Amino acid sequence: MPEPESELSSRQVEHVARLARLGITPEEVLRYRDQLRNILHHIEALNRADTSKVPATAHPLEERNVMREDRREPCLPAETALANAPSRDDSYFKVKAIQE
Amino acid sequence: MTAIATRYEVVVGLEVHAQILTQSKMFCGCSTDYLTAPPNANTCPVCLGLPGSLPVINRRAVEATIRTALALNCEIPEFSKFDRKNYFYPDLPKGYQISQYDLPLSRHGYLEFDLKGEGKRCGITRVHLEEDTGKLLHEGAIHEAQASLVNFNRAGVPLMEIVSEPDLRSADEAREYVMRLRAILQYIGVNHGDMESGQLRCDANVSLRPAGSAELGTKVEIKNMNSFRAIHRAIEYEIERQSEVLGSGGRLAQETRGWNDARALTVSQRSKEFAEDYRYFPEPDLPPLDVSREWVAEIRSGLPELPAARRERLITTLGLTPYDASLLTSSKPMVEFFEETVRLGAPAKTAANWILGDFSRLLNADRKEIDQASVKPVHLQQLISLIDSGAITGRMAKQTFEAMYRALDPSPALQAARDSTQISGDADLDRIAEQVIAENEKSVADFKAGKEQALKFLIGQGMKISKGRANPQRLDALLREKI
Amino acid sequence: MMLYQRTIRDLHQMLVDREISSVELTDAVFNQIDAVGDKTKAYLLVTRDLALRQAKAADERLRAKSDIRPLTGIPIALKDVLCVKDVASTAGSKILRGFIPPYSATVVERLEREGAVFLGKTNCDEFAMGSSNENSGYRPVHNPWALDRVPGGSSGGSAAAVASGEAIAALGSDTGGSIRQPAALTGIVGMKPTYGRVSRYGLIAFASSLDQIGPMTRDVADAALLLQAIAGHDPRDSTSSSRPVPDYLATLTDGVKGMRLGVPKEYFVAGMEPAVGQSIRDAIRLLEQQGASIEEVSLPHSDVALPAYYIIAPAEASSNLARYDGTRYGFQAGGGRNIIEEYMLTRQQGFGAEVKRRIMLGTYALSSGYYDAYYLQAQKVRTLIIEDFKAAFTKVDALLGATSPTAAFELGAKTQDPVAMYLNDIITIPANLGNVCGISVPCGLVDGLPIGLQVIAPGFGEETALRVAYAFEAATEFHKARSPLMGAAA
Repeated sequence: MPEPESELSSRQVEHVARLARLGITPEEVLRYRDQLRNILHHIEALNRADTSKVPATAHPLEERNVMREDRREPCLPAETALANAPSRDDSYFKVKAIQE
Repeated sequence: MTAIATRYEVVVGLEVHAQILTQSKMFCGCSTDYLTAPPNANTCPVCLGLPGSLPVINRRAVEATIRTALALNCEIPEFSKFDRKNYFYPDLPKGYQISQYDLPLSRHGYLEFDLKGEGKRCGITRVHLEEDTGKLLHEGAIHEAQASLVNFNRAGVPLMEIVSEPDLRSADEAREYVMRLRAILQYIGVNHGDMESGQLRCDANVSLRPAGSAELGTKVEIKNMNSFRAIHRAIEYEIERQSEVLGSGGRLAQETRGWNDARALTVSQRSKEFAEDYRYFPEPDLPPLDVSREWVAEIRSGLPELPAARRERLITTLGLTPYDASLLTSSKPMVEFFEETVRLGAPAKTAANWILGDFSRLLNADRKEIDQASVKPVHLQQLISLIDSGAITGRMAKQTFEAMYRALDPSPALQAARDSTQISGDADLDRIAEQVIAENEKSVADFKAGKEQALKFLIGQGMKISKGRANPQRLDALLREKI
Repeated sequence: MMLYQRTIRDLHQMLVDREISSVELTDAVFNQIDAVGDKTKAYLLVTRDLALRQAKAADERLRAKSDIRPLTGIPIALKDVLCVKDVASTAGSKILRGFIPPYSATVVERLEREGAVFLGKTNCDEFAMGSSNENSGYRPVHNPWALDRVPGGSSGGSAAAVASGEAIAALGSDTGGSIRQPAALTGIVGMKPTYGRVSRYGLIAFASSLDQIGPMTRDVADAALLLQAIAGHDPRDSTSSSRPVPDYLATLTDGVKGMRLGVPKEYFVAGMEPAVGQSIRDAIRLLEQQGASIEEVSLPHSDVALPAYYIIAPAEASSNLARYDGTRYGFQAGGGRNIIEEYMLTRQQGFGAEVKRRIMLGTYALSSGYYDAYYLQAQKVRTLIIEDFKAAFTKVDALLGATSPTAAFELGAKTQDPVAMYLNDIITIPANLGNVCGISVPCGLVDGLPIGLQVIAPGFGEETALRVAYAFEAATEFHKARSPLMGAAA
């Protein structure tokens, strides 16, 4: 667990927001920072548990090797796939340019 | 180049992405034939990433990956799982790619190949399984476009990632590695090896280090190489570029560069504004895989003869030179064509010469694969047979072959060659007919008694005597006359 | 009694006896929706045409006496995180405004086969994140027991609808308590099945390793019926269990005589209202009188369940919500100069504050340098919690405790402090992490507001939870109490 002295910083909030593609105003950065600090403070209790001898549970179920046969199933018609598109060009989804 | 070689050691690692030839996608039942389908016609809630959709693993894709890993001499651990690789891009419908991170299906293998008669071995770090992304079309050039168009037909197609150790030491080795890898993938039936369509993709990591040093130099990633030739040229260019920078005391940036084939150089791709952090974590929607030893054994027993073994067999049982054997086995369709031709009766060496010589020349000029040619093994075998019997000259054979190759149906050209040598002259045919009649009294009697079948037999005998050169129709008429 | 006040089983009998038709019944419920819907705001979308079509079809089956099932003709509400083909689904979020799924969730298809009638999509906290239904991107839901109070969350709309007579029963989803807690706060029965018991295909995902769909009903027998209809393996959900589904009605009325019931001492939490604690103790005593033996047990890692949950759930959510980018469906902000800006604007405007908080928290917990300390650690704590329950269940058959530490609080009372809000789930969260099942059943009123008794049973032991809950219900009248909006018996 990171040292308590490394309290969540504004910079970290900005970084995390960017990673998550969440637009955020400077004022929001501060507000979320404080709220997240408070939440993280409570989460620090996680440290109390002695986890040295246990594995992580990534998959709660006992099932393994759940697979399907390689068989084609009917697809959605293209029009249906595109029906919810906020922006389209003919049979393509249209998005803003990739340029950074 | 020699100066570079003595000062620096070239270190190259290759990352190959190979689509798997399954019927349906990695996590849903949509068809994988994205190259021909209309845009967005092969999609469903799962591969579109609609809210509420869930993935289900395609068993054949897992088996294909294990098969590939076995062919590459990899270890197959008993436990494997999928992980989410999180990032944003318009061709990535879920905002994450289901891939494998720390527990891939296989690790620690190797691929052996020859370079100029010397045997080489390149380590394989891992072979893992993931899903492909959709395709982006840009309206106009990428740096000018106002918008991009997205087609999700390819999203979700199963993809293997084959990562090599940085064991390759030259562009030649890199090219040879990819050729050999491609052949193996073809042999085991998981991929056709088509680089142009993107079915098989290759990225390279190239760095230089002072000769004798153990530390690795700055690594540059090279992308956008769409052919063996491009791989070779790009790596050679990059080696040159890097050594110039280092030689003049400069520092290399650890970056990604794209190969520009038209301009024959690598171009720095603008470094991303934000450092990407993929935040890998185990895919909660998919239970992990227990890869039992029985399952692996079953898959192993289904492996076909691999290129290396096939090469050995061609050398030892058919007497081919190692060089010819290597070339022939570098492509599954080619070696199969060769073996079929030999099976039909052609001598191995002659067949090899034709395939590796004139045939390959014509194919390369057209950028075609041997199985796309109209000439089939039976045609080649018959042509060879004509040459061997002395019926046609070598020069004529070459002309004939070219004509066969260019035609939709090689048979007429072959027939024309046969006809040109055909015995149609009455005197010759007459002699043959007389010989047939003299040597086959019983059949002649049968025919006289009304058995049509007997005439066919007599014609057959006539063909035998003339070594196939008699004109069968004329012979038929002559025999009828005489009998 | 008004039709909309009755249980599934009662109505089933009336339909089979042809005392009423499904159309009449459905109309009656729609009338109630018209009468009180504006007060509760339980629904985001009412699907009148669809419901009437289905009711007519159900009446056909009833008339022909062909393929009649327990839910045939029964009007049900669906939480807006469940996809119904060609019906708008928002998950309570503005970012999915206008999204019309081209497919139905597996549970929805199963209910359709039963011949159920879909009244509409109920309001919920945005992407199921919340404990009060105040995080809905559209409007908060009001508790039918007191309109200035929250109904609980995130399935607040489904709970309010059942409690106000705006639905005979409903489906909700539970990731950290989102069925059980609102059920407790609105005086109805709500059950979270074991993870994997019910298919998640078509459930708009919040936390993939925790989400489960479950019934919200007037009484325990109704919950058993509804669970029976939706439970079972689904090849489209790789995390659905292949264990066979037992007959949940078979042992329902067996009673608790001879059963061993455990009371986790950690569940009498610090923030619990004294009156709530007292009601729970009374309930436990009642079960003892019914013949069960009661013993105190310990689930030593209960205090780290909440922290573990608030790492695991947001982490998975941050990944599950990455697909909401305005390119294939839902809201698109427009105005971005390039795709990254477009993502930023769309997600900034489309998501509410709680969702953003959790996305950031989850992203942080998974990010480079923090993964081991947060996510991995939380997954290990999860193992400890699973072990706690396993150990307890070697000694007892089921566990008893409160569902929520308090009764319904006022709207706005906890919206300023996220942590205060999170603490509402402190007693429900362990069951989500622990691979067990849980049910909340009404056990009294505190200052006129309902509270619930939680019964927790081992994984895939739903019949045990139902049986204990049923025995408690049968010995009490709490489940017969009606909210003011539901009205007195006619």
